[in-house]
Amino acid sequence: MDWTLNLLLLMLLLATAISVIRIKDLLAAAVVFSAYSLVMAILWTQLRAPDLALTEAAVGAGVTTVLFIITIYRTVRKED
Amino acid sequence: MRKAIVVLALVGIGVMLIYAVGEMPPMGDSGNPDKVHIAPRYLEHGEEEAGASNVITAVILNYRGYDTMGEVAVIFCALCAVVAILNREKTGLSRTSMDVSGVKASVVVRTTIRFLVPVIIFFAVYIILHGESTPGGGFQGGAIIGASIILFTLAFGLPESTRKLPLRFRIPLESFAVIAFLAAGFTGIVFGVHFLTYLMPGLSEYAAETIRHIMMMVIEIGIGFAGGIIFTSIMFAMIREDQCELQPDSP
Repeated sequence: MDWTLNLLLLMLLLATAISVIRIKDLLAAAVVFSAYSLVMAILWTQLRAPDLALTEAAVGAGVTTVLFIITIYRTVRKED
Repeated sequence: MRKAIVVLALVGIGVMLIYAVGEMPPMGDSGNPDKVHIAPRYLEHGEEEAGASNVITAVILNYRGYDTMGEVAVIFCALCAVVAILNREKTGLSRTSMDVSGVKASVVVRTTIRFLVPVIIFFAVYIILHGESTPGGGFQGGAIIGASIILFTLAFGLPESTRKLPLRFRIPLESFAVIAFLAAGFTGIVFGVHFLTYLMPGLSEYAAETIRHIMMMVIEIGIGFAGGIIFTSIMFAMIREDQCELQPDSP
């Protein structure tokens, strides 16, 4: 059970990581990156590192996403 | 031609990395160097030596105290850089285009956030204060405080947030973490021991333990609140637009 969940999460992590690089719409990339952080946070708890999970969820999924979106709003949304 | 060289170099590096991974000790093996010397010491003596039952807090604040002080200074420098480039918001003048657009967040969103933000801040304070016995601590709690204030700003707008958290209130708090760390560090020098020593000599065991506890608490609270306020200030500096000088005050 633990093993399948971890495999699923790792595959999701890989999929989100690759999509962040591939997506040309930067706003969508920021949102997918937030999902990446959330999956990473769950993985940290699976690895018995709740400290890191808390930081990852708050900083990775919360704060940096907002800062990315502000930056995209200030610049351009599409990657060349 | 250039592409071929790049591919060749990448393949070469990849082969070397895979070869290096093969040489590494197996993951999680109990005979690995990190599990022979350091980890048992931290786990067995962490509580009495560092004064925190959460080993991670013991490592962060005590065994690796210099590292943590550097991290705190780095966060503060990041804020300095952002403020130097983007400048502070101006009270009463700074708005975002969200605020002047006339489209407000819906009642559902505003009410939810109004009820949620105090609970989130309460949780963050719990994480900061219980950092020495449960997972969490200053950095984690600070990040949660920052996230909750950012949530509030997104729903209620920049003028409301800057009125709740004015500049004169934020400026002293931003440097609080570095100052708390330095104060705790120099306490040791005043007592004639090394920088960042927590257990003071020449006192009874109870007094020394109490002083150590207070010092760790001050550092945790400093990191927590300063971290949260630094996130907030960076966000305010990035989001602000002083365009309302050209427009009528009310939308």
